[in-house]
Amino acid sequence: MNEVKHLYVHVPFCRSICFYCDFCHRIYDQELAQKWLHRLRKEMEDALRPGYETIYIGGGTPTALGYGELKTLLQLLKPYSAQVCEYTIEANPESLDEDKTALMKEFGINRVSLGVQSTDEEILRSLNRKHDFLLIQEKIALLRKYGLDNISVDLMYSLPGQTMEKLQKSLDDILSLDVPHISIYSLTIEENSVFGRKGIRSLDDETEADMYELIERVLCGNGYRHYEISNYCKDDRYSRHNMAYWNYEDFIGISLAAASKVGNRRYTNTRSFERYFSSNDIREEDLCLDKKEQMFEHIMMSLRTDIGLDIKDFENQYGCKIKEEYPQGVDNPHIVIEKGRMYCKDPAILNTVLLDFME
Amino acid sequence: MDREHIRNFSIIAHIDHGKSTLADRILELTDTVAKRDMQDQILDSLELERERGITIKLNVVQLKYKAKNGEEYIFHLIDTPGHVDFTYEVSRSLAACDGAILVVDASQGIEAQTLANTYLALDNDLEIMPVINKIDLPSADIDRTKNEIEEIIGLDCSEAPCISAKTGQNVEDVLEGIVRFLPAPKGDIDEPLKALVFDSYYDSYRGVVVFICVKDGEVKVGDRIRFMQADSEYEVTELGVKTPYESKREKLSAGEVGYLCASIKSIQDINIGDTITSVKEPCKQALPGYRKMNPMVYCGMYPTDNNKYNDLRDALEKLSLNDSSLTYEAESSKALGFGFRLGFLGLLHMEVVQERLEREYGLNLIATAPSVIYKVTMTDGSVIYIDNPSMMPEATLVDFIEEPYVKASIMVPNEYIGPVMQLSQDKRGIYKDMVYIDDNRNQLIYEMPLSEIIFEYFDKLKSVSRGYASLDYEIIGYRPGNLVKMDILINGEIVDALSIIVHRDFAYKRGQAITVKLKELLPKQQFEIPIQAAIGNKVIARTNIKSLRKDVLAKCYGGDISRKKKLLEKQKEGKKRMKAIGSVEIPQEAFMAVLSLDDE
Repeated sequence: MNEVKHLYVHVPFCRSICFYCDFCHRIYDQELAQKWLHRLRKEMEDALRPGYETIYIGGGTPTALGYGELKTLLQLLKPYSAQVCEYTIEANPESLDEDKTALMKEFGINRVSLGVQSTDEEILRSLNRKHDFLLIQEKIALLRKYGLDNISVDLMYSLPGQTMEKLQKSLDDILSLDVPHISIYSLTIEENSVFGRKGIRSLDDETEADMYELIERVLCGNGYRHYEISNYCKDDRYSRHNMAYWNYEDFIGISLAAASKVGNRRYTNTRSFERYFSSNDIREEDLCLDKKEQMFEHIMMSLRTDIGLDIKDFENQYGCKIKEEYPQGVDNPHIVIEKGRMYCKDPAILNTVLLDFME
Repeated sequence: MDREHIRNFSIIAHIDHGKSTLADRILELTDTVAKRDMQDQILDSLELERERGITIKLNVVQLKYKAKNGEEYIFHLIDTPGHVDFTYEVSRSLAACDGAILVVDASQGIEAQTLANTYLALDNDLEIMPVINKIDLPSADIDRTKNEIEEIIGLDCSEAPCISAKTGQNVEDVLEGIVRFLPAPKGDIDEPLKALVFDSYYDSYRGVVVFICVKDGEVKVGDRIRFMQADSEYEVTELGVKTPYESKREKLSAGEVGYLCASIKSIQDINIGDTITSVKEPCKQALPGYRKMNPMVYCGMYPTDNNKYNDLRDALEKLSLNDSSLTYEAESSKALGFGFRLGFLGLLHMEVVQERLEREYGLNLIATAPSVIYKVTMTDGSVIYIDNPSMMPEATLVDFIEEPYVKASIMVPNEYIGPVMQLSQDKRGIYKDMVYIDDNRNQLIYEMPLSEIIFEYFDKLKSVSRGYASLDYEIIGYRPGNLVKMDILINGEIVDALSIIVHRDFAYKRGQAITVKLKELLPKQQFEIPIQAAIGNKVIARTNIKSLRKDVLAKCYGGDISRKKKLLEKQKEGKKRMKAIGSVEIPQEAFMAVLSLDDE
């Protein structure tokens, strides 16, 4: 019996580097990928138990792997996926082909998250993305041909050069795909990304807020549910795996840079290939969280979603009264308590609201 | 050394006329400081002085000079600040001198502050030797400058050394001039000890170190001495001179200038201007001491961290020993908590004090906008003095308010007379006189409220005259004005630390400027927040800080929790550094916004 229900696998390879990204990745190299798979097998043996309900293969770019390596990865995961109800893989349009799609289907993958970011060619080039909208349409048709219709599309906004009109056009294009899930993130300039090193600035706060509101208006107007700050879904096809993070459930992450939370422990693997390959101790950070920290993190994560926090569960879990513990927090005018749940009315300013839950 | 071979003098100059450079050259020429130890502005020992290129504290140095007549002389050079704010420091150093060197920039001519300090020296009965500096500059005009000095001050310039302190040209003439034209100290070594205390500072090992100028008699290590004004006795533990490094001596005699230690623990025991005499054989009459300079400008200073209140008090105690023109008393503010009301001689003095407190004592301070002292006559006939605008009584209880006026003397080249007059008029100045100095320069005299000079007159004067105008002012008394207290309300609450007294005619413009400035400075809040300026119950300006619309981290999955939490903790820390007024967080800069310079 496995206590932890959620598994994340990080694939640290890409075929090219997107300018906004500072995730842990290297340009794909067959020899390195083989070596990585070899080491991953060992980590799985050490860290995993069977019986996960959700598995999420992210990256990097999982489809950057060659067919053979992808097959090995899925075979390695097979013993752990018997009870899986949501099995997601991230894919890039240019490296997703029919063989890999068939392979995904064969191994029980039932959800694909496709990196699209924008449908405007100029913007895509400025991000160093290699696809166009036509390719997106083709790849979505391909996925559907194999019965993989639980598709999520990743988009970005507040991008350099993006106007409200360009954003509206991208949204219209995406709506035409009629996918059940859309994740849409505002650009954060990461210090270690190409953008960060070039000193590129994101758009001003007011424009970003305008865009956030436009997205909500357009997507909700077309039948999507805004269920998390950056996530929209239709027909209840929200991401079960990600929802586990936001409900502050336990999860295990394997491979480089992956994080795990098991009870009061949270640990993160090294970002260094060298250390990952050569050492048995691959944890870069290994924290023991006290109750206060867990409580705050739990609130911090759950207020991101439209279902918020189940107050009774929370109080039972930590043995406290939420109103006594966070008088200033529950008093914040953006916080609503209704039918036994606590929500943030305006999650766009959640950071500021959360400060009232801190000491 | 007999008195005839001692010369005690100061150098008087306007800022940038080359006083510190000349002092550096004199130190080099007399081999007082080895070349390898030489650094620019060597007498300016405060870090701040060197950074800003100004002299704040007086400093003293002993030099030996072998004159052309073959005899050796001891010079005590007592450095003085040039800025109008530090007049008190100047008068202190001048009292320890018998002569002064007046340095005038040959390319600039006489300036307002040169005049003010020269008059101070003449008041102290000092002999003055003019020195024409910067003759290496292409724009130098030696004859015109000599003419100005003779015409305006009435000093004979026929034998005035013409030098370049920068290149060292003719600096020798200055040293010879000191021997020939400046008098030796007048005192008598056979009289009982009489020494003037002209400066002091606190040393954690030796206690209070006192700078003295021995007028009569002599003092030796081991002597019992009495501070006549403080009425306290000590035994001398150490004596010495500054060369400019400390050099110990067994005794100091009439005419000599040096330092004295006597295990003085408490800084309150020392009054600058006090007279030291011998316990065994006291002198009959103390020296006249100093006229205490009254502070002109007040502001509140509060530790950002309320727990640092005691540290601030200790720092002020120590600093005021070294800066006797600084006054302070405890006060509290609804917005800022517990702090002190500080009194200063002027704005530069205020800035210098804040910087010294922050730098030398490691404090983080919030300073409120400076204010002058208002004289308020109440309807019942009583009179109160207000140095904190938030303490101004309700308008219905006030009969009339008076404010300090100054006589401002502005030296300005012809082409800038128009703009300077316009500016002075805009600042409520009353034109009094215009004196022609020469073909190109004039002296304008205005009477003007001190508060206007504080607010922005000086900066504007420099900009409308491209830096060519110079200003000096003296207080001439109180005059009634149509003044009102203007409050600033943030989210409907008066922030006491932001209240100001303003002339009714300027209230709308100032109110508008301040609210707009605050709007820029205050971080966006969760709700729209009104910022208002009000006189009594009447709102005269209003603007809104827009509500915050988006601040959230877009992506937050399993691996982002740690990072996200660190981000929030940083944000929370930042919030703690601001002052919360009701539900609104106010950053430090906002408290100076009432001084907003760009209200045009």
